Amino acid sequence: MSLWDRIDKLDRRWIFLLVGIAVIIPLFVNMEAEISITPEARQLFEAVDALPNDSSIVLVTFDLYAFSLAETEPMARAALHHLFSKNIRVVTVTTIPLGGPSIAERVTREVAAEYGKTYGVDFVNLGYKPNYVSVLRGMGTDIRSIYPTDNSGTVLDSLPLMNEVFNYDDLDFIFVTADNGIVDFWISIVQAQYGIPVGAGVTAVMAPKQYAYVGSGQMTGLLGGMKGAAEYELLVERADLGVKGMAIQSLIHFLIIALIAVGNIAYFISLRRKRRGQA
Amino acid sequence: MTVFEIWLGAFLTLAIFSFLYRDNPVYRLAESAFAGISAGYYIGLIWESVIVQFLWVPMTNPENPKVWLVIPLFLGLLMFARLFSGTALGKYVWLSRIGLAFVMGSTAGVFLMSELHGNVLGQMFGTMQVQSAQGEPAVLLTIIVAVGVIATLIYFYFSKEHTGALGVTAKVGIWFIMISFGAHFGYTVMGRISLLIGRVYFLWNDWLGSFLF
Amino acid sequence: MKQTLPVAVAFISGLIMVVAFFMRSDVPVIGGLSQEVLIWGSIVGGFTLLLGAASITRVNFNAVRLRRSGWGFNLITLVSVFVMALPAILGTFFPGVRWFGTGTGSLYDWMFTYISIPMQGTMFAMLAFYIASAAYRAFRARTAEATLLLLTASLVMLWRVPLGEWLLTAIHSDLPSLVNTYVMSGVNLSVQRGIIIGAALGAATMSLRILLGIERTYMGRG
Repeated sequence: MSLWDRIDKLDRRWIFLLVGIAVIIPLFVNMEAEISITPEARQLFEAVDALPNDSSIVLVTFDLYAFSLAETEPMARAALHHLFSKNIRVVTVTTIPLGGPSIAERVTREVAAEYGKTYGVDFVNLGYKPNYVSVLRGMGTDIRSIYPTDNSGTVLDSLPLMNEVFNYDDLDFIFVTADNGIVDFWISIVQAQYGIPVGAGVTAVMAPKQYAYVGSGQMTGLLGGMKGAAEYELLVERADLGVKGMAIQSLIHFLIIALIAVGNIAYFISLRRKRRGQA
Repeated sequence: MTVFEIWLGAFLTLAIFSFLYRDNPVYRLAESAFAGISAGYYIGLIWESVIVQFLWVPMTNPENPKVWLVIPLFLGLLMFARLFSGTALGKYVWLSRIGLAFVMGSTAGVFLMSELHGNVLGQMFGTMQVQSAQGEPAVLLTIIVAVGVIATLIYFYFSKEHTGALGVTAKVGIWFIMISFGAHFGYTVMGRISLLIGRVYFLWNDWLGSFLF
Repeated sequence: MKQTLPVAVAFISGLIMVVAFFMRSDVPVIGGLSQEVLIWGSIVGGFTLLLGAASITRVNFNAVRLRRSGWGFNLITLVSVFVMALPAILGTFFPGVRWFGTGTGSLYDWMFTYISIPMQGTMFAMLAFYIASAAYRAFRARTAEATLLLLTASLVMLWRVPLGEWLLTAIHSDLPSLVNTYVMSGVNLSVQRGIIIGAALGAATMSLRILLGIERTYMGRG
């Protein structure tokens, strides 16, 4: 077997090792590079920034599973920093049963604590209710009938913030963080029917599809994956995991492009030799 | 995070990663615990958010008891008739369809309108306007979008053979689709690496950082 | 009866939602009725999740009872279900006990945060290794279409990271901006839009078939 044949049929665990090494190198070597801001991220930032301070109320959704936290949590944190720094009040909600309420509770309370915000006055976590169609559509008429209580079982009427929020008419913006197709329904069921602006921070896998909604004006700004999170972190001047992760991200992208190139070269050389052998 | 919580997280992370070498009992232990915890999470969540908050509290409210909620409770309980399959009560499995039909029907009712109104009309409207790049109207971009939408729709239109003008348009469609799927692949790679970065930072900063530096 | 009753239930609940779409939410009867349908839908939807959890528990219980191969792992799953669910349920009956319930500080919340999150995150993080392997072994420029896909993927991978963007800028200062405008917001947008329109028409058609009782596969056999 020639060298190129061996390269073509390399055991995948060698690839795993290369990825492992590429992940570790940026932890020791400073590989920082300037992170540019895409127009979609800036559009989202500017839409939130344009909301009146103090009086606005924004719905932040945690439509995400725990597996995607590396991408989505930095977005949600950056969004909450932006909102709380403007004294904008926040209502959180989730349509994800596996961990959504716990994640929303933890992340929101941690960021709120940095700004001295009070639960019930400055922010409320409505938590989870099953069947996202019921939740998205039902909140348009009456939030209380879908969420009789908040996540911890407190009746909504006893929370001062919720005395100003009855349905989508009382919200100024919806900031969706999502790792699945629910984000489409925030557009097709909520934005289209109730006219409330919706911006989104989504996982990289979800991002290409969302360009269609940004282009049609149905979505007000978009953050795509960890790079999107890094962009928003820079815009709100709170660099965190998104910004830190860009060095590793860069190196592995280069590695994968190199692997594709080497894999193709090895494949075509092996193929040519086989054809010559047959001839 | 306490030291125990950090070490527990690190052990579970490494236990799952051990699958990269080969399947092993430590991985299967973590996998089994994961499946159980997920099922337990669902039970706790539905107990609290549905049975207590949605049913028990409103039904037992002394001022205005919503006794009619016994109907969705009954429809929900009928779902469990699915578990009768293969038992002596197998002939009652069909009862689970009633609850399922209720959810399917109401969801279909919402989707019938929202998909046409929110997606078909919304996206068609977006295609019929001049596209802009960096805030300026862009003619080339407008042509690309219009051609791309039509060509993609035609590529997925299988009711007529792709020959003649239809075939040419479908061919253009496949070129557009390949570019879009390529972009999608690039983004997918990015997403998967981001998730790895999250775990690496946990191991590096929280775990190793707690005793090495 | 086994088919007619579910079809009638689906038709009535769906029809209420269709009619409600055209009316304000404060319209008498239909406004309240549609909201009630949504609440009931959420309640019944919750029971479907419970059914899933019950099914997992039953499968694992049977495996342990019959001492099937690897039953020890099934036992771990079973124990995990109860350790997670039981304190959550007990919180309703003993609200003063800190470890019970589902709120912050409960055993339920602790187990999710410190056991489930690391495992979920790692399971999907492993895909980074597999996607690198797949890119190396399967991503071949065999045809013109595959080459186009491969080149776009590489271009987008470069564009989405700072070092790659720096490289693209070195080639031509406008290149990153052109990728965003013409690849992502141009070609990609148009294809995604075509797919969204097609899928939405399909979803609307399927919804109509369900409402009219033509589509019944969701009911299963029997």
